[in-house]
Amino acid sequence: MIQVHDLHKRFGAVRALDGARFRAEDGRITALLGPNGAGKTTALRILFGLLPRDAGTVDIDGIDPGTTPLAARRRLGILTDQVGLYERLSTREHLAYFGELHGMDRRAIAKATDEVVDLLGMADIIDRRASGFSQGQRLKVALARALLHRPRNLLLDEPTRGLDIMSTRALRRALCALRERGCCILMATHVMQEVNQLADEVIVIAQGRTLLQAAPQVLRERTGADDLEDAFVQLIGSEQGVAA
Amino acid sequence: MSQEAQPLVPSLVAILRKELRETLRDRRALWMVGLFVVLYPLLMAASLHKMIEREVRAEREENRVMVIGAAAVPNLVRQIEDAGIRVDAMNALDEAGIAALLARREHTALIRVPGGFAERFAALRAAPLELWQDSSSVQAAKLRRVEAVLRGYGNDIAQARLLAHGVALGVARPIELRQYDTASRASRSGKLLAAIFGVFFVATFYFCMNLAIDSTAGERERRSLELLLAQPVPPAAVIGGKWLAAALLCSVGLTLELLLGHALLSIMPLEEIGLSWRVTLPALLGVLVTAIPLCLFAAAAEIALVMNSRSFKEAQTAVGFVLLLPLLPVLIVPMLELDTAMWMYAVPVLAEQTLLLELARGHALPASAFVSTAGVSLLAAAVALGVAIRRLRSERFVLGI
Repeated sequence: MIQVHDLHKRFGAVRALDGARFRAEDGRITALLGPNGAGKTTALRILFGLLPRDAGTVDIDGIDPGTTPLAARRRLGILTDQVGLYERLSTREHLAYFGELHGMDRRAIAKATDEVVDLLGMADIIDRRASGFSQGQRLKVALARALLHRPRNLLLDEPTRGLDIMSTRALRRALCALRERGCCILMATHVMQEVNQLADEVIVIAQGRTLLQAAPQVLRERTGADDLEDAFVQLIGSEQGVAA
Repeated sequence: MSQEAQPLVPSLVAILRKELRETLRDRRALWMVGLFVVLYPLLMAASLHKMIEREVRAEREENRVMVIGAAAVPNLVRQIEDAGIRVDAMNALDEAGIAALLARREHTALIRVPGGFAERFAALRAAPLELWQDSSSVQAAKLRRVEAVLRGYGNDIAQARLLAHGVALGVARPIELRQYDTASRASRSGKLLAAIFGVFFVATFYFCMNLAIDSTAGERERRSLELLLAQPVPPAAVIGGKWLAAALLCSVGLTLELLLGHALLSIMPLEEIGLSWRVTLPALLGVLVTAIPLCLFAAAAEIALVMNSRSFKEAQTAVGFVLLLPLLPVLIVPMLELDTAMWMYAVPVLAEQTLLLELARGHALPASAFVSTAGVSLLAAAVALGVAIRRLRSERFVLGI
């Protein structure tokens, strides 16, 4: 479970986060919505202990990444918006590398590799080197390496960017399976269709502040819009109008 | 805090192994290491070979002089011929003709006997004799032999005249100069070999360059660095793993380069040009062990620098400037012709160069020279590592990845 309360972060004169608060429960997929520059990436980087926060509290299964970043990271599976792979390593070598970085031994890595290969259906690329992989194959490798150490919490930054329909469906199936297992999944995204189909909760942030955290239908009801996208635009638009 | 404790070594080793594995699969990186392993030894061998060949050829080649007006100096011609120098005779030639003749390089020099030589000679007045040479093409050794014959000719005439006037030879020759040269071959070799070895150690900075760039700026360019930093790995392990991988590759490159250089120097006939290579294999290995810290320093310095670049290209530009720095002491110090001093063992690259040079000269070295050479590089490596780790932790760096 991930809880963020009254999170503040500024870079010089820019307030990237200005009192954001949200909560992502176990066994649920929580979508983090917001326009570009809303503070999503900054919030995620504070969650994995890469950036220090100015004020507020962060709690990942009772651990504060501000004071014990390594312990927090062990409980996180991370998929960043850029899928950086090592072109000269095979999928299996990628997984072994990240398993070792998480302190797993060889046998545990082999077992976990078999599991994620089953879950994501990637037996065909497990011993191929990454150069020449399609976007979908790259994403599978990135997701597999995020899942290898069986994290309780998953942080995904725009996971379906650049994916074709088949890969998107495969990813969706995998996320649903992980939710069944009780994973806490926090997903920053711009794709409303994804939110519609997957999300149990929606967090809308803009200008570093949380505008709303609720189930998708609550968001629609609150804004009076039928469509989630309209609801989002209405929420953001009005708020930004006030701020301006 | 017990949850936070993460052993440094396993993740450092994992990163080290991954970087080496990637580099060993990178044909371009391996070619570059291979190129620098053979480049300097082969350049050295080629230039020494050229020198040896020239020397040997000069010995074998005929030494010829042209004499204009030979009829006036029959004794001189005989003395020149006695010295094994071939004499060609000619009647007259103007200055342009002389220059053209010498430019053909068939003659070492031209001796012209001016008109009036015989009269002045007979009158016991200093008789002029002209020696023409083309200093841009002539071989110094050949010319020295011609000059020696001319000097000997003049001395002989002087002695004969004094004797004829009843003057004892000792009056005209108050001293008899005897020259001795105590320089051993090895110590004479010094200056030349110094220039050669300095360049050997400069290659250190090239051996680790590709890995240092690829594992930092390259990782940023591929957008994989953020994810690596989001793993439960302390920054010291990230920097440490990449650093040791680069330093290891560098050590292997330097070892191969020095061994190749040693093998070439051992089989070349250096005695032909008055040089000798007397560094034994165990002594060379001692130098290598002392030079490993230089590899550690080169890798650390390059990583601390290129990690700030966002792309491979940008990093290459940045590192190009740093590659000039190790060249400075190596190029400048031999030019200044300084005597070996202890401070030289405190300048990375120059220290390693001086060490090998002194061994090549056959000097015994104090242990402090080895300790200083290794110690300064180790200290510099530690500083560069500290800078790199601090940088990795800084907020500005994280924002830029």
